[in-house]
Order: sequence, then structure tokens, then C-alpha cells
Amino acid sequence: MKINITMTLCALFLFTGCVKDVKPWEKGTLAKKSMKESGTNPLAKKYEEHIYYSKEASRGGNGVAGGGCGCN
Amino acid sequence: MKTAIVSFFLLTNLIAYDKGDTINDSIASHLGCNDDKVYIIDFFASWCGSCKKELPLISVANTKIDSSKVEIIGVDVDKDVNAGIKFQNDLKNSNKLNFRVINDPQNLIISEFAPIGMPTLYYVKNKKVISIVTGAVDNIDEKIIDDLKAME
Repeated sequence: MKINITMTLCALFLFTGCVKDVKPWEKGTLAKKSMKESGTNPLAKKYEEHIYYSKEASRGGNGVAGGGCGCN
Repeated sequence: MKTAIVSFFLLTNLIAYDKGDTINDSIASHLGCNDDKVYIIDFFASWCGSCKKELPLISVANTKIDSSKVEIIGVDVDKDVNAGIKFQNDLKNSNKLNFRVINDPQNLIISEFAPIGMPTLYYVKNKKVISIVTGAVDNIDEKIIDDLKAME
């Protein structure tokens, strides 16, 4: 029992880094253009979407709103 | 044991300034907000779109407030200081930034305040947080003026 508790505590302290959330002021890297699905070239995404919409005969339903600053 | 584990997780996420809290002496002296003026501390970054939108409006509010009673302080939390300074200079050159800015590349100041989003304004008087405005607010200049009037 004692060993189990010690091992659980050790695991908690060792693996806390794995569950650390990104704070609102640490989202500078996430807000970069290179972090977007289409990378630094927004035309590439539009081109892919154009093909997808024409093949599927539907549009929309992808992406989320927001500027990546974690404010809304 | 269960209580200790739960407390550990709660404490790691709950250390943030809230309304009524007194700010740390070293942070207050670093910001230069030790006296009984009302200090409005605005946390922003060059990569934050809403901050970019709000800064010119906060500068408008800065022209309307009584500087002997109120001071606005910006805290730029860009980890890349050069990018932050370039962003500030671009704004200053187009008259969209007219208040004192402190660079916080190590995120020491903002980690202490730990806002839940950006941009965030903290109203501080006598080192005590008296109000917090989180997130993008339309017409933030008018809101600042109204908030200050309500505090008189």
C-alpha cells in the first residue's frame, strides 16, 4: 500500500509537466501564421477548399473563429 | 491523502490576482505604481489581434484622463523583445500609443497577475486591485472613462 502511494506521488510530481496548460500570454507561437493549417500561404488552403467544395457540392463547416489570443 | 492531491492541483491553477488582492511589493515597484494614483495596467502583445485593436482606443482614453490622478501603464509580454519594441514604435509613430510601456519578456509580471485572457486591464490603487476588465471590449476608451467616473 505504502509503495503504491509513493509511486503515485512520484508519478504526479514527475508528470505534471505533461498536463501543463498553455497560459493566455504564452500563445505567441500558436498565433503565428506558420501554425495555421495552410501554413504561411493562405492561398494553398483556399485552393484545397475550392476543390473540396466542388467535389462535395457543399461548403463551410471547417475552421473556428478567433485570433489565437485566448481572449474570447 | 485525497485532499492533499486535490489541493496540489488546485493550488497550481489558482494563483492569480483577483479584485481586492494586494499586489506584490517588488512587482509594484517594478511597475512604478506604489502611490495612491489609480493605475490602469494593460497587458498586451504584438501577436494579439484584440490588443492591437484596443491600444489606439486606450491611448484616446489617456488623452482624456487627469494624469495627476490616473496613469495608464502598458506591459508588453512579447518574449521577443525586438518584435515587441518594433510593434510599439510602429504604434507610437502613428500616434496610437501614448503611454508608458514596460517590456516583460520573461513574463514575470504577467505570471504574477495571471489573467484568464488577453488583453486584460487591471485597475490598481494603493497596490490593491480594484477592478479587472478581461477580453476585447468595444469602445474601451469610453469604458475606461466611465469606470474612472464610477470610482470617484
